[in-house]
Amino acid sequence: MSTIALDAMGGDNGVAAAVRAAAAVSLAQDTGVLLVGDRAAIDAELRRTRYDASYLSIHHASQAIGMAESPRAALQAKPDASLLVGARLVAEGAADGLVSAGNTGAAILACATYFKTIPGVPRTALAAVIPTERRRGPHDDPFSLILDVGATLDASADALVAFAHMGSAYASRISRNARPRVALLSNGEEAHKGPPAVVEAHRRLAADARINFIGNVEGVDLPRGTADVVVTSGFTGNVVLKMIEGISDTVMDMARAANRSRLAWKLGLYMLRGGILHLRNVTDWQQYGGAPILGFDHPFIKAHGRSSDRAIQNAIKVAAKAARSNLCAEIASTLAGKGGLTG
Amino acid sequence: MTAPHIYRWDLDKTYLQTDFDSLGALLRTALQRAADKENVPGSAELLRALRADSAGNALIYFVSGSPRQMRDVLSEKLRLDGIHFDGFILKDNLRNLLKGRFKALKEQVGYKLPALLQARVEADTGSGETLFGDDAERDALVYSLYADLLAHRVPPEVLEQVLDLAGVYPDGRELIHAALDRLPACDPVERVIIHLDRRSPPIRFEAYGPRVVPVYNYFQAALVLFQDRRLKAEGVGRIATALRDRYQFTLPMLLRSFQDTLRRGVLDYDAAARLGQQAGGAGVAEEIIEVFAREAREVNMVAPLARSQHVPDYPKLLQREMQRHAIEKARRKKRKRWL
Repeated sequence: MSTIALDAMGGDNGVAAAVRAAAAVSLAQDTGVLLVGDRAAIDAELRRTRYDASYLSIHHASQAIGMAESPRAALQAKPDASLLVGARLVAEGAADGLVSAGNTGAAILACATYFKTIPGVPRTALAAVIPTERRRGPHDDPFSLILDVGATLDASADALVAFAHMGSAYASRISRNARPRVALLSNGEEAHKGPPAVVEAHRRLAADARINFIGNVEGVDLPRGTADVVVTSGFTGNVVLKMIEGISDTVMDMARAANRSRLAWKLGLYMLRGGILHLRNVTDWQQYGGAPILGFDHPFIKAHGRSSDRAIQNAIKVAAKAARSNLCAEIASTLAGKGGLTG
Repeated sequence: MTAPHIYRWDLDKTYLQTDFDSLGALLRTALQRAADKENVPGSAELLRALRADSAGNALIYFVSGSPRQMRDVLSEKLRLDGIHFDGFILKDNLRNLLKGRFKALKEQVGYKLPALLQARVEADTGSGETLFGDDAERDALVYSLYADLLAHRVPPEVLEQVLDLAGVYPDGRELIHAALDRLPACDPVERVIIHLDRRSPPIRFEAYGPRVVPVYNYFQAALVLFQDRRLKAEGVGRIATALRDRYQFTLPMLLRSFQDTLRRGVLDYDAAARLGQQAGGAGVAEEIIEVFAREAREVNMVAPLARSQHVPDYPKLLQREMQRHAIEKARRKKRKRWL
């Protein structure tokens, strides 16, 4: 059974969401959760919550990093911050992975302080899942993985190639997709399209037999699900991700507004409710459990800052799955076996 | 010789893993053979350890809401578990059915309170008591009320209010009053242990004071009973070993359970330290003792919430329990908004 450390002080919804998420995971009785943060605040919340004491414990940390704080300065000023303590506990073996809904920059820096970067990874990558029309894997998962979505704003060819391998390993281990199709995001399918780093990465990935590289995909291919793993720089990936989240929220807002406007529309929507609920489920980011940061020697899942307890709960489940399936070791072995990054 | 200590146990969801949340499950339970009945992990081992650590000076009684028709199969189950009991009270549900008292089939106050008080009449006046129940029904309330009634801490008008709220029938009231008339003021109930079968939030039991201790498993109960000096370190070790060997509890699970009792303040640091000192002599490996001792030291750095024993507002608590029951029932029925 794996144990996941959860930064209880991070996120817009504070301790309450983290504690409820940890408590819900404890009731499933298959993953241990180590809540890291202010023990008095956690205990105060826990006593109102259904949980299982055999699967939940607390490690006291007296400080917390705010969402708006400067990551580097905050980590220097707060050595007992829950994020730092959580990363240290994972590095020391007290837990098998880390989850935080807190300050993204501080989380990556905290991991960088205590975790080792896997040999062959020039930069870590933040990955996310996006809903797609096409389904894949044994569970017919309706989403593909996109990375990087914010850790490395301007990625080199080396970084893009490493992202491709890490994404492929993640999709095969976590989504159980035996041979995931990997693509580079560009402004055309042709190999010469895109900025120099993308063109160079294309050349090297096309020659790499260890990966199922299908070439370049365009923006229009993302919702179709042409690729299972989409590789891009953090800047582009972040814009794409936020746009998809915005479209999903807007569509549901429009449906709610229509539901209130006219009786005929209300009836029409009621008749379509099965399809609308399915669409909402597929596009609901809270069920995908946060964004894994790939490239460290321990799993780290960054949950959305505004995560509810359900989203954090799913993030813990993904972290546990990554730990159980030895994802980091798989990435290390893939990168070690691919004969270096330069081609 | 000192008076024997009395352990009173509920059966379903306290000693046995019983499912009577649906009609089908209820029927399955009723038809189950003794050998097919499953224990709450560690319950049989804890009972045997309590008996062993009392040097023969303990009495074990069961007070269960199961119908009397199940006596044979339940007695057989206890025999299979190696539990020697001194008394077994079951509910006369056939009589309730024949009299059309459908409310009495599920109601606990009108059944358990007279049963406990009548049993106390027959007990040695010097005997202390430790009571075991669960969170599925109203064990915490009934056991606490029983303790406070024995100690003459509950005014008669408050008892009447509770009996009215619970809808206790006249013959049940008569039994309660008759027993109370015969009992001298005493304060024998030292602990009420509530097995959190439904994982109810601990806050639900705070109003009853520190005498009532909710536990998630019987390792936690063993720790509390060690603190109460009802169980030796060897006994705690036997429960831990049984949970590990028979019920797939791991060392981290036991450690988390240990931490939880310290954090909630149901196990104090001194008792934890005493357990650490005695565990070595009980054959527990030094490295395991050190892991637990380190955990205790770390938890001790942040003080748990201080709690004091007082007489709870029983009518209010019963009303709250009834409301909670109604809310849970309504929640199950409530349809989710679709958009």
